[in-house]
Amino acid sequence: MSGPRGTAARVGRVTTLVVAGLGGLVFVSVLVYAVLTALKPASEVLAVPLRWLPTTFEWSNLTLPFTETPFARYFLNSTVVGVSVTLLNVVTCTAAGFSFAKFQYRGRNAAFMIVLATLMIPVEIIYVPLYSLVYSLGWVNSFAGLIVPAGTSAFGIFLMRQAIGNVPDELLEAARLDGAGDLRTLVSIVVPVVKGPMAALALFIFMLNWDSHLWPLLIASDDEHRTLPVGLAAMQADNLGSAAVPMMLVAALLAALPTILLFVTLQRKFVEGVTMSAGIR
Amino acid sequence: MTVLSIRPQAPDSPAPRRAKPARRRRNAVAMMLAVPAMGLFLVFAIYPMLRVFYLSLFDYSLTAPPEFIGFRNFTYLATDPQFGAALWQTVVYAVGTYVPALTLALVLAHALNTRAPGSGLLRLLYFLPVAISWVAVSVIWRVVLNPDGLLNQALGLHLNWLTSSSSAMWGLVVMGVWKETGFFLILFLAGLQSIPPELHEASRLDGAGAFARFRYITWPMLLPVTAVCSVMAVIRGFQAFSPQLVLTDGGFGTQVVNLFVYKTAFENARMGRASAVAVLMFLLLFGLTLLQLKVFARRDR
Repeated sequence: MSGPRGTAARVGRVTTLVVAGLGGLVFVSVLVYAVLTALKPASEVLAVPLRWLPTTFEWSNLTLPFTETPFARYFLNSTVVGVSVTLLNVVTCTAAGFSFAKFQYRGRNAAFMIVLATLMIPVEIIYVPLYSLVYSLGWVNSFAGLIVPAGTSAFGIFLMRQAIGNVPDELLEAARLDGAGDLRTLVSIVVPVVKGPMAALALFIFMLNWDSHLWPLLIASDDEHRTLPVGLAAMQADNLGSAAVPMMLVAALLAALPTILLFVTLQRKFVEGVTMSAGIR
Repeated sequence: MTVLSIRPQAPDSPAPRRAKPARRRRNAVAMMLAVPAMGLFLVFAIYPMLRVFYLSLFDYSLTAPPEFIGFRNFTYLATDPQFGAALWQTVVYAVGTYVPALTLALVLAHALNTRAPGSGLLRLLYFLPVAISWVAVSVIWRVVLNPDGLLNQALGLHLNWLTSSSSAMWGLVVMGVWKETGFFLILFLAGLQSIPPELHEASRLDGAGAFARFRYITWPMLLPVTAVCSVMAVIRGFQAFSPQLVLTDGGFGTQVVNLFVYKTAFENARMGRASAVAVLMFLLLFGLTLLQLKVFARRDR
């Protein structure tokens, strides 16, 4: 399309993109600043006027969190908890989603209504009784306390029920006629078809868990069980001076690295997860 | 909703009576599939949910048995200036963060909803903060908000952002906008992409300008997404906890409700009173959600 109208529209579009681009630079400048400051000698971190580049890159800053704090332990704990919670969610939500989507039995609708009702409740609201429950189970300062209560999610069940609902009944019927039981049908027919939503769910749960702070803070306060958010916060409280700025920035950036990498490589899946959680598509 | 029929499809196949035990057995298997999820739910979500209502009527310190005190927790909270302040500070944080974040996200979504070169990279730049955990973001922003940090030097100021009652909340708000805009940008972009392009084409041919197209096509079509975004913004706003704990420990006028609950329950061992706050927050959030859905449903018409 040409003519004055098309040109005006194009100019408008370019202008908005340029403005959005400048905004994007402002947004990302915070991260660039954090990365560069993490590599500065301690004496330069808060120099006035601001220097973006260090005079010398202190690559040895990168190992500070590992040599000065139990950062590696926090990282390992977060990984173990994040992976376990994600696997548990994928299994429980897919199974329940299949059950709710493709079978009819007494109590099914009631069970699903319960799931829907809990979808709207922020979990923080139940932390007091949940804590006393986990406390009486003897799970304080244990991985069980970090993993088991987070083992399923209303959003995941809802998501998998929607996804499996779209699987054609004929496909399941065919499997049944071939003599496959329900479990077999689930594993070898349904799962391959809903791999996409399962991956989106896995990514979403993993990132949510990686961010989880309040619950691990309550349930895992010792060094053996601290996850990254709890450990980072504790490190920060012990290192408030500007001499510790590079180490804290290295720790924060390393802690952010797995989810950033996952996000960059699996961006589309993540967007799917967010939009499915909002019920948009 | 589709339900698997186990009835034989051909009318002349064996009598349906034989299918009955098979159906019962099959439904038992199907029920078992829901048990792990529902079991976890009952123990770790439903039971605590009910118990929070129960505990709100007790004086309970976790170590001693709960003592029934009726509505005294609630009457106490009604006159507790700390609780009032926490509520107010939560509202300030939520409105201060999410109104700009949603507005920015809506505008950016329009700018970035193109295939122009570079728009993909731009989206990524705005999305990145979403992928970073709140605590890591807080650690990074402690440096950014330092009196000699990036923000002050960029603005030519010398504010003690995090150690002054007049600015601590606003430091957290600036950081919140940075962290949360990308999340809503994702939602708005998805919403924009679900609008059929033919609608815009048709109205363009009818001579509608950019503003008219936004007013009469994009905006109404985006209403459901906007409703979701505003509900999520309220919930996320009231969930605020980590930055306030990590950066100010609730000081300098930043004690939000979640932090108030945390301190009441786990530092002062007032489990009953904390439960009462949870009950109030539940009712408030539930009410706000219903209200928002109602407002958006009316505008939808």
